[in-house]
Parts: sequence; structure tokens; C-alpha cells
Amino acid sequence: MMEGITFSGLFLDGLFAAVAAVGFAIISNPPRKTLLISAILAAIGHSSRYLLMNLPFFETNIASASFVAALLIGCLALPFAHWVRVPVEVFTFPSLLPMIPGVFAYRSIQSLTKFLGSSNSADSQQYINLFFYNGLTTVFVLAALVVGIAIPFFIFRKQTFSVTRGIKRVSATQVSADNSL
Amino acid sequence: MAEIDLHHQLKEVSRFLIDYAASSMSVGMQTSRVVRNSERIAAAWGFCCDASIFRNSFIITLWDSSRDHSYSSVGNIMSLGLNFQINAALCRLSWEIFDQQLPLQQAKDKYLAIVRTPRESRWLVIVLVSLANAAFCRLFKGDFMAMGIVCVATFAGFFVKQTLQHRHWNEFAIWTISAFVASMIASLDYTFHLGTTSDIAVATSVLFLIPGVPLINGIMDLIDGHVLSGTSRLINAGMLIVCIAIGLTITLRLARIDVL
Repeated sequence: MMEGITFSGLFLDGLFAAVAAVGFAIISNPPRKTLLISAILAAIGHSSRYLLMNLPFFETNIASASFVAALLIGCLALPFAHWVRVPVEVFTFPSLLPMIPGVFAYRSIQSLTKFLGSSNSADSQQYINLFFYNGLTTVFVLAALVVGIAIPFFIFRKQTFSVTRGIKRVSATQVSADNSL
Repeated sequence: MAEIDLHHQLKEVSRFLIDYAASSMSVGMQTSRVVRNSERIAAAWGFCCDASIFRNSFIITLWDSSRDHSYSSVGNIMSLGLNFQINAALCRLSWEIFDQQLPLQQAKDKYLAIVRTPRESRWLVIVLVSLANAAFCRLFKGDFMAMGIVCVATFAGFFVKQTLQHRHWNEFAIWTISAFVASMIASLDYTFHLGTTSDIAVATSVLFLIPGVPLINGIMDLIDGHVLSGTSRLINAGMLIVCIAIGLTITLRLARIDVL
């Protein structure tokens, strides 16, 4: 992992993250115009995580790096949301998908089944070790991703929940159950 | 007479809200946003709405503005599959109802039109998912052989998943079988020593099945304080991951692969 980073490596990381984001996004059938935005955000997020994890100065662990990357995506998402008028999660969730710790998730289950099947105590200790390492990494990365992306939304809560609003109502006093039904 | 009228109005609006909230939940909206949107729609017609939402069902009580009369109903959340297009359109509809004071019938028509929007074509989805999983394999440092095999494996696995979903099989069975099919094809890389990173090919071939959006939604609900629906989303996603692991384990046993 510490092989040093190159510009092309960084670029390819972003590119493949963007392709992955588009493909995983389309399973949840988003509006077409948001696909491009999720791709851009995924590329920025994933390559910044790659930078944080590999730069000699930072060498952050995967959970903290994911947190910073998600924070970045969340901050960039709000202006985009106003532009396309869709709820923020419609394109931020797909852009997080390439960073979801899927490998860690099933490795932890895999080591659990190996633990159950192992015959000597040295092996079982190693597998239970692996189970906790992978399981905790899954939980922490997942929580870091979601908390990171949620912080900007909480700060700008009002804007976040009203991006899909079109023309504003003329006056609030018009509310009346009788004539509107 | 006025009370009967009011009762009738409450009933009609509740029916609409039940449908609205049920489809919002099933297309993967965060619980707090569903609650907000329902409250907003109720407010547009001068009512107050209290909702409590679980995974399979929810209860909505609609009050008139003076809190003298109420109407409660229980709705069932069916599974439509994630659909962000409908999600965005439903959010927009709630603001439209609020800001333009749409009459109920017009709101119902718009709602039906939104829910009936067709999905993306099946083949476009399957091709993009295959490419995505191949790119994902590259992110885990797989070589080009592994990428190609993962692409083919994902294509087959996703095809099986779509076909079984179309026939309304059990969700857990679908996940196990698709994971088995995808990983079995990817294990050819290992069996015939095609590339140098065959373990990564086997490992990433099933990742298209990881329920990413429910995992994120679950944590989001927990943060918002909707602990019940958050945990049930997380538990459901965790069970799907266990199913993926079962499908993968069958492959590993059959192909006699000993990787972790």
C-alpha cells in the first residue's frame, strides 16, 4: 500500500471509482442527470481517500480517510443539489457506494465460518482476530462515511430539506382546509 | 353535518398519505424525510399528521387543525425496489402540494403518474453494473484478467438476480443464488490459473450484491433518531450480506479454494 503515489495512479483511481459509482447507482434507478454528478463526486471522494491513505505525510487509516472523503462529498453536494433540484441523498449515496467496505464485511463473515470449522486453538484465535479486525473496520468505515456526509447536511439543514422546492407559496395565511380540498 | 364532512376529508387525506408514505419508504427514502414530507402535505390542507414508522408497516394519525377530530390508519410497506427517481419526484410533489395548494384529486393523479414511471431498461443496468464491478475489482488492485472475469461473472450473477426478482422469489434465496453463480464463474480464474490476482477476482465478483444504500440509510435513520426503522434496515442488510457469504462459501468449498 505504501508504494508511493503517481499522478496517473490517482487519476485512474478516480476514473474507476466514477465507473463503479455509475454502475452501482443505476441499480437504484436515479434520474439520468444526477448520474454524472454522482460520478464526479465519487471520483473526488475516492481519490482523496486514496491520497490520504497513501501520502507519506498523512498515511491515515481507512476509517478516518473515509470520514474526510465523505465530508468533502457532503460539502460539494449542496450546491449541486440546488442546481438539479433533487434531494441530496439521490446523488450522494451512489457516490459513497465505491467506498462501502464490502470486502471487509464479507471477510468478517468468512473468518467467522472458518473459526467455527477450525480444529486447533491457534487457528481459531487467528480467525477470531481476523473476524474482529474486519468486522470493526466495516462498522467504523460505514459509520465514518455516513457521519461524514451527514455533517454538512445537519449544518445546512433547512437548505437540505427544501432543495426540491419549486416556486414558493405566496402567503402562508392561505391555508384553509375547506376551500383547498 | 360539518363533522361528517370533516371526517370524510380526514379519511380521504389519510388514504392518500398512507399510499404516499408507503411508496416513499419502499423506494429508499430516509425515514425522517418521509415524516417531514407527510407532515408538509398534511399542513398544505390544514391538518396535522403524526407518524410512527416501522419496517413493514406504519401508523399515521391525521388531526384537524383544532385537534378535535382524528383519523388513524395503518399502512403496509411493500417492496418496490430502490428507486431514486421516484424518491426525488415524491419529494418535489410534497412541495408542490404545499406551495401551489393542489386539490386532493390532482395530487392523487400526480402521485399515480410518478409511481408508474418506468425503470431504466434492464440491459443498460446489467451492462453498467458489470463494468462497475470490473472497475471495483481494479480499485482492489486486481489485474486485467481478473477485471474481465469479474465483468462476465457480474453479468451472469446480475442476470440471475433480475430474473429471480421478476419471478418474486424470496429475497434471501435470490442473494444466495446470485452470489453463488457470480463467484462460481469468477473462481474459473483460480481453477485455471489465468491471472495473478485470482483471489481478488473471487472476492469482488459478489460485491455488486452488497446492499449499500440500505446500509447508508440505516445509519442515517439511527442518527436522526428513528432507531427502530434504522436497525431493521441494518439488520436486513446484514442478513443479505450473510446470504452473500453463504453463496460464496459454497463456491469456495466446491472449487476447493482456500483464500480469505
